[in-house]
Amino acid sequence: MYAAGIDVGSTQTKCIVLDENRNICGRGLRMTGADVMKASRQVFEQACELAGIETHEVGYTIGTGYGRFRVATGDDQITEISCHAKGAVHLFPKTRTILDIGGQDTKAIRTNERGEVVDFCMNDKCAAGTGRFLAAAAEVMGMDVSEIGPASLQSTQKLKITNVCTVFVESEILNQLGRGKKREDILAGVHRSIAGRSASLLRRVGLDEELTFTGGVAKNPGMLDAVRTRTKLQVNASEDSQFMGALGAALFALERELAGANRQEVQS
Amino acid sequence: MNRLQEILQSVREETESLDFPGPRKWKQANPDGRCVGFFPVYCPVEILDAAGVLPVALFGGGEQIEVELADARVQSFICSISRSTLELGLTDRLDFMDGMLFGSLCDVARNLSGVWARNFPDTYCDYLHFPQNLASDQAMDFYVHDLKRLAGDMAQLSGKSWSDEDLALSLDRYESLRARLRKLQQIRCQEPWRLSLEEFYCLLRAAGRRKVEAYIPVLDEVISILEKRDCRPVDGIRVVLEGSFCEQPSLELIRSLDQAHCFVVESDLARGMCWFQEPIQRSDDPWLDLARAYFKHAEASVVRHRDPQERSQRLLQRVQDSGAEGVIFCTAKFCEPAFYDFVLHKRVLEQADVPYIAVEFEEKMSNFESIRTQAETFSESILFFGEEAMA
Amino acid sequence: MSQSYLHQGSGQKLQRKLLGDWYQNLQEAPQRGEKVAYLFISGNIGELLQACGFHLVYPEVNALQCGIKKVAGPNILSAEDLGYSGDVCGYVKNDIGLLTGGNQMPQGTVLPPPDLLVCNYAGCATYLRWFEALAEFYQAEMVVVDVPYLRGTDGPTAEEKAYVERQLRELVTVCERITGQEFDPEAYRQAVARSAQTEDLWVDILQSAKRKPSPIDAYFEAVFFMAPIYVMRGTEACLDYYRAVKEEIDERVQRGIGPLAREEVRILMEGPPAWPHFRRFWEMFKKWGAVSVASTYSKVGGVWDLGFRHDPDRPFESMAEYMLGCYTNRNWGMRSDMLKSYAEEYEADALVIHSVKSCRSFSVGQADLREQFIREYDIPTLFIESDLADPRYFAEAQMKNRIDAFFEALKHRRVTAQV
Repeated sequence: MYAAGIDVGSTQTKCIVLDENRNICGRGLRMTGADVMKASRQVFEQACELAGIETHEVGYTIGTGYGRFRVATGDDQITEISCHAKGAVHLFPKTRTILDIGGQDTKAIRTNERGEVVDFCMNDKCAAGTGRFLAAAAEVMGMDVSEIGPASLQSTQKLKITNVCTVFVESEILNQLGRGKKREDILAGVHRSIAGRSASLLRRVGLDEELTFTGGVAKNPGMLDAVRTRTKLQVNASEDSQFMGALGAALFALERELAGANRQEVQS
Repeated sequence: MNRLQEILQSVREETESLDFPGPRKWKQANPDGRCVGFFPVYCPVEILDAAGVLPVALFGGGEQIEVELADARVQSFICSISRSTLELGLTDRLDFMDGMLFGSLCDVARNLSGVWARNFPDTYCDYLHFPQNLASDQAMDFYVHDLKRLAGDMAQLSGKSWSDEDLALSLDRYESLRARLRKLQQIRCQEPWRLSLEEFYCLLRAAGRRKVEAYIPVLDEVISILEKRDCRPVDGIRVVLEGSFCEQPSLELIRSLDQAHCFVVESDLARGMCWFQEPIQRSDDPWLDLARAYFKHAEASVVRHRDPQERSQRLLQRVQDSGAEGVIFCTAKFCEPAFYDFVLHKRVLEQADVPYIAVEFEEKMSNFESIRTQAETFSESILFFGEEAMA
Repeated sequence: MSQSYLHQGSGQKLQRKLLGDWYQNLQEAPQRGEKVAYLFISGNIGELLQACGFHLVYPEVNALQCGIKKVAGPNILSAEDLGYSGDVCGYVKNDIGLLTGGNQMPQGTVLPPPDLLVCNYAGCATYLRWFEALAEFYQAEMVVVDVPYLRGTDGPTAEEKAYVERQLRELVTVCERITGQEFDPEAYRQAVARSAQTEDLWVDILQSAKRKPSPIDAYFEAVFFMAPIYVMRGTEACLDYYRAVKEEIDERVQRGIGPLAREEVRILMEGPPAWPHFRRFWEMFKKWGAVSVASTYSKVGGVWDLGFRHDPDRPFESMAEYMLGCYTNRNWGMRSDMLKSYAEEYEADALVIHSVKSCRSFSVGQADLREQFIREYDIPTLFIESDLADPRYFAEAQMKNRIDAFFEALKHRRVTAQV
């Protein structure tokens, strides 16, 4: 028995396939692009291939993320907020608070021991302080997104970046470079100020141990460090952090499938 | 360091520091003393002073503060000063204060009084309603009654009983203070190079943080030194700055205006520090004197409705009286009152052929290039236009 | 609605007719040589101004009509062309845009200019700025009735009441000068008496939501049902209207009908609706079977359910008390207490806060409400943001995502709680 979760985010689409013992047996990942249906189908096929199974062997699929209603093979949809909570508590059972920095929004989620959402908060409409800001900062610096985190850890001088508005990222950074500031110090400042914004979001739901950091940005060591420093909490981050939404969706899918199978048994 | 530099350094520190050095020092020296903060714009400080309470003018957190706790309390479309003032409180930087006052200047400030009361349940917090229908027969009674209510609260806070005579003396003290501030304003207006805008502004700001009787001799000293200050005239345009009555632009923004040769010779910066246009007329009832002055002699301000045309006409008059050649609208992001006034002001200025520019600022702003460029262009265009007109 | 019934939609139909007649009558007022006063909804003094012979224009009602009819966007842009900032109230900008474009409402009415602007200032400094601008653009006379913001929890003081009452009496003199007509105290007294009767009916209608299932959506439906009591309170037509609505709601109760086929979640709503996207906004809640059982926005024109009534024996005094007691004139603690009592009396499962950028007098303090309800009262609370007038602030995908996540979690926890 297999179940899948497909998370269609604003930047990337991800898929997780689980076996009946809740082990991850396949992953799929690609850029979302313009064709959401195609992206969701491709990640699903990719994950099944890695799991060494045929697509029809997957009994239940749940779509999540912004494109959840357009998942080609989805049986149902659940928001990524519920899915991140589910996934995080599965991987780190002591998780009570979750920070997810995504492409266009940042979420702070409070959960209980069963992985149910108790409260959540998201940034307002603008993309200030989200993953989009980090990507824009990398672009201005002429670096790859994966490089900026490690680079920021080389910082020796504390520097304040006050404006985390994506529209002004270029002028803000060029202004700092113009003042002769070092690249790594500017980047460290960028990470710190995003961590600061995330911390105020986390405060709205309550900063309780343990904090699990999910989403693609959690793979950035600079961000992880900045969040740890800012919240003074034990921060969990998994290798699979960008798959957290897909994992949660797959867990929900498996529950549904198991419940369905039980019902059938009872009926027969 | 000479005496003037020493004074200027201390008032600059008072303006920039988030630690309130002046009020803290006063409280250390007066362990039984009480400090009550007030959110801009206006506060009847005489009533606090008469009760032996030190009024502490709050002007937000400026560019120094890092806001984290307050962001969880206010939405992104609220002005910086509300956010940073709350942050000052939530980070215990106001732990020396015994109370807080808010007034009816805008919807945000009004509601903030409730947010404050919830977050600081153990300290005194009050809201003052300043009358907005000055034409009503009952308005004066209402206001005097409210002033007396505040006075009762202050007496309770300070544990000091006091009389009308004490209030009358306090009125005198603040009158003397405002006379000095007006004198400084006059110096700045006549010879802007004698006293930079930054210096003038920091002296003005410190007036909201020092015990009034101690600050008057300091200002006297400043005035007498300034009169002999060695300086030479600099070319530039004379402008009126409008829109910064509540949230304050940073010192760097203020400096950049002088650097752009836009000499601000008249402004509404920190308006509450010098609220009355002329000396308070005195009778044997200091309560009525203070209330009447609010009704009749307060500077035209968007936080005090009198009649719809009053403020734009007064702006025009200030332009003319100060010999200004233009107006810079310098408005805090999300400051609704200033934005509403801008549209009405601009119509009147256009009719009177007074040039203007409008810039927007936030407390946490680090790049002033664009504002400086606009100010420089404004100054160039006026100087250029002036030459053309002569030719 | 799950099934059809006798009085179905009669409240809505009648409301449309009443407002249609109202606007028609307004348009013709100047031709008849009759005077027009502009005023605000919160703490409005319609009874008094009508007894002075004025026709009434409510710019806020015009603004919300423009919002629903999708012309607020262009109006707001024209106001911004005049120099209004992107960051000021969308209602004000809609009104200024409407004015510069010839003052024609989307349904065709050309609004008459004001002979008097009455800023019945209740809990909103933006009202003052709004009418100051109209005074300039129309070159019209403006009067303010200053209403002090309430402090503490004891309600208005004697001094506050005296101040407001005195201003109302002074206003009568101004009105007489402008209309050239003598104030008719008996007409005023009778209007106030009708208001009190109307208020009884309206409170009955709102409180019917205490039933399970609730026969009415006390937000998405109430915002339409409330229009007449705000706009034409004190008239016979208004009183008749609430009798009709009451009949409709009573029938729903008899037949066990609610606004949705199934009531799954009972919610409290705080904050004004997203007028420019009203339908889609409601759909997002309907989808989850969420029925509003009480709301604060349906009280902006008057908080009657906490006991206040206009009093024909004290027409001026009770009017002053009414103005002082307006929802947005209540301090944070009073607002919080009111919501708390609603949560108990209406047995609500959750609180939804719709925070709008335009109206700071509503929105500042809502983050603290949210925290208090979740942390201290353990009532699940959803916080969403958009605007009441400016269509640019409505991010549909984000809003839907938050609403879905909230109800999804609520439902899930209910299921596991039962296991």
